[in-house]
Amino acid sequence: MRRIVLFAAAALLSASALVHAESTSADGQLLFEQKCTACHTIGGGARVGPDLQGVTTRRTREWLSSFIAAPDRLIAARDPIVMPLLKQFNQIPMPNLALAESEVRTLVDYLEAEDSTAAAAAPPVPAAPMQQPSLIAPQSTFLTLFLAFTVVIAVVFVWIGLSTRLPASVDVKRAYGIRRVFFIVGTTAAVVLLVATVPLAPYARAGARADRVVYVAARQFDFVFSDEPITSAADLAQVPRIANLEVAAGTLVEFRVTSLDVTHGFALYGAERQIIAQTQAMPGYFNRLLVRFDEPAQYKVFCLEYCAAGHHLMQAQVAVNQQERIGP
Amino acid sequence: MNKVHSNTLYWMAITGVLFPVLILLGIFLRTVQAGGLAPLQSWFYPMMTLHGVGMVGVWYVAAMAGVSQMLTRYVEPTPLIGRVAIIGTLLGVGLLLACVFFGRYAAGWYFLYPLPFKGEWPQWSTVLFLVSLTVLGATWLLWSLDLLRAIAKRYTISQALAWHYLAGRSEPVVPPAVLITTVSLIAGVAALLSGVVVLALFYVELFAGTSNDALLMKNITFFFGHTLVNLTMYLGVALVYEVLPDYAGRPWKTNRIVAISWNCVLLIVLVAYFHHLYMDFVQPGVLQTIGQIASYASAIPAAVVTIFGALLLVYRAPMRWNLASILMFLGLAGWAIGGVGAVIDSTISANVKLHNTLWVPAHFHTYFLAGLCFMVIGYFYHCCQQLAEQPENRGLQRIAATLMVIGAYGVFAMFYFAGAFGVPRRYSIYPAELAYGAKYAAAATGFAAAFLLGFIVYLAETGKRWLRAVRAAP
Repeated sequence: MRRIVLFAAAALLSASALVHAESTSADGQLLFEQKCTACHTIGGGARVGPDLQGVTTRRTREWLSSFIAAPDRLIAARDPIVMPLLKQFNQIPMPNLALAESEVRTLVDYLEAEDSTAAAAAPPVPAAPMQQPSLIAPQSTFLTLFLAFTVVIAVVFVWIGLSTRLPASVDVKRAYGIRRVFFIVGTTAAVVLLVATVPLAPYARAGARADRVVYVAARQFDFVFSDEPITSAADLAQVPRIANLEVAAGTLVEFRVTSLDVTHGFALYGAERQIIAQTQAMPGYFNRLLVRFDEPAQYKVFCLEYCAAGHHLMQAQVAVNQQERIGP
Repeated sequence: MNKVHSNTLYWMAITGVLFPVLILLGIFLRTVQAGGLAPLQSWFYPMMTLHGVGMVGVWYVAAMAGVSQMLTRYVEPTPLIGRVAIIGTLLGVGLLLACVFFGRYAAGWYFLYPLPFKGEWPQWSTVLFLVSLTVLGATWLLWSLDLLRAIAKRYTISQALAWHYLAGRSEPVVPPAVLITTVSLIAGVAALLSGVVVLALFYVELFAGTSNDALLMKNITFFFGHTLVNLTMYLGVALVYEVLPDYAGRPWKTNRIVAISWNCVLLIVLVAYFHHLYMDFVQPGVLQTIGQIASYASAIPAAVVTIFGALLLVYRAPMRWNLASILMFLGLAGWAIGGVGAVIDSTISANVKLHNTLWVPAHFHTYFLAGLCFMVIGYFYHCCQQLAEQPENRGLQRIAATLMVIGAYGVFAMFYFAGAFGVPRRYSIYPAELAYGAKYAAAATGFAAAFLLGFIVYLAETGKRWLRAVRAAP
């Protein structure tokens, strides 16, 4: 009987330790995302501040804790570790985040846990620069139209400029006749273009139904995907995230895009690494972007609205897979 | 020489110093994007902010200075207000430099809410930036109101807007430059007042802690920014209307069509800014459509009336080509070509592929650098030459113009091509998928250097005339 009680107590203790460890890790991740991701990544490269992967192997726990708690104090004391870092990161000091002692502890625990996970995993391979693709439609049409008009304008200006070599009086009445034709042709072209292109606007109609709805919360400097709305930083802890967004080819997806901090862009780059659709991610609003993923490929998402120092690092992926065949 | 003319000479010097510095910043930005100057990469976004605010500001004041001087043919601006404009602008520029260089402020030239509060720069640099804009905005509002006052002293508002031409009367004669300046200044006052509102909302949030609506702030910010940039362009066009006839030996007068055209511009320019919010899908659809209609509509008076009129003025005219007339003629071509890029981008279904790619700086650089800048520096040369009356070196002047044209259009081409491929604007480094953007950036630095060289030749040609004019000043 005594053995059974001891065993049960031990099991309970282990389970509670496990739960505690998991909740600490979740708290740490949340805290890191709320307080640190604007300037730091773990394994994603330097932003405003250094990449923190491996930081717990480079620095002692005591030093890390004191720096996270009061970076301004170490800077004022011209700490020998801080000063070269400050120089390396262009004299942009880490602000004092006014964290409680328990929060500092949670963050350091989280960084240690991340480092031990990373040590077990294979090192990431940096992406190699890719070759320039061929220009797709309709972008190629825009460029061709622009170049054609530019050539016409250049030819007209050169012709008019050269005409001054042989000065003569001008038949103004005839010129005004040409202007009238120019006006009619120009206005007609503008109206035709308006009528033809306004219905092609990418805005979701009121009754539009997608095969799948994905909520996107943009923040400095990443995108969070979820099947449920994320409207504030606090939601990050409550709402399950989609770590790897995968959709089947042919799926019509509705992205409901918002932001948790500043205005961002949400631009989808297709198989040819050119824009297929985009919208803005604005705090306080959900923009509905409907996209049918026709081609199986790895689609990229880039932020196209400047959002501070890590803007160019802000990206995500959507894996579009071959649609599974139904039936024999 | 009166005091307004001496103010103009100061503005020429300010433009001549600031513009090359801002070009160098542009070269710096493209060099970093090309993969160079890695140790200075973290300065990219602060310098991008300075380059953007600086260029918009420099060309606004340069165009206003030109127009202030040109208006003296017809009305009397207050010289003291002109001097206040110089002092206020220099003070604003000083504050701007301090917040960027000491605070690394980097929220971009249109400081899209709430980014100024949420960047890696310290709060004080945001405050300094807002104060800088307040000083500049208040100064420019005062300057615009004084010019409007001067116009109103000679013409009634209906006359200055040439409404009597609509009724078939041509008396009193209103020069096109006065009409266009009036239209531009009214739009300018509206823009600057909206700037006051947006700044007030920033201050309220800063000091009272209340938060603003991001969509409303974006609307007001772009009404301010878009209108200011457009009216700056129109001020340049006013200078061309005034001066190009002198070189063509033909008149270019206001008539009913010109009056209709520029009154339409006044209405159109106030609603065209909606095209900046196409990708904000929550903006009411009717406003998006108005944005496209207004953007298309703005091209018609520009192309059918102004550019056609200018071409008619020059066609087989006994033209006196010098640096002024060449640059003004080229400026009209730049305005037209940039307009084509803008009209394509203002089509909603095209904007979804081009928004915030390099296509955007492509088109506004075309009509600002190869359009407005050419018009204004052409006018500055014209003024200096009128005051100095020195013999002209046609060969050197053609070299200057050729270098600037090759440089400018090379820079634009790199923007347009990369933009069509979806290379984003405002990226300090391109991701692996878009790494080829660096190739365009590298080529652009060479073209920008050629432009700078051409501008230095221009400065040498204009500078010696400017010096003589300064020495002749009482």
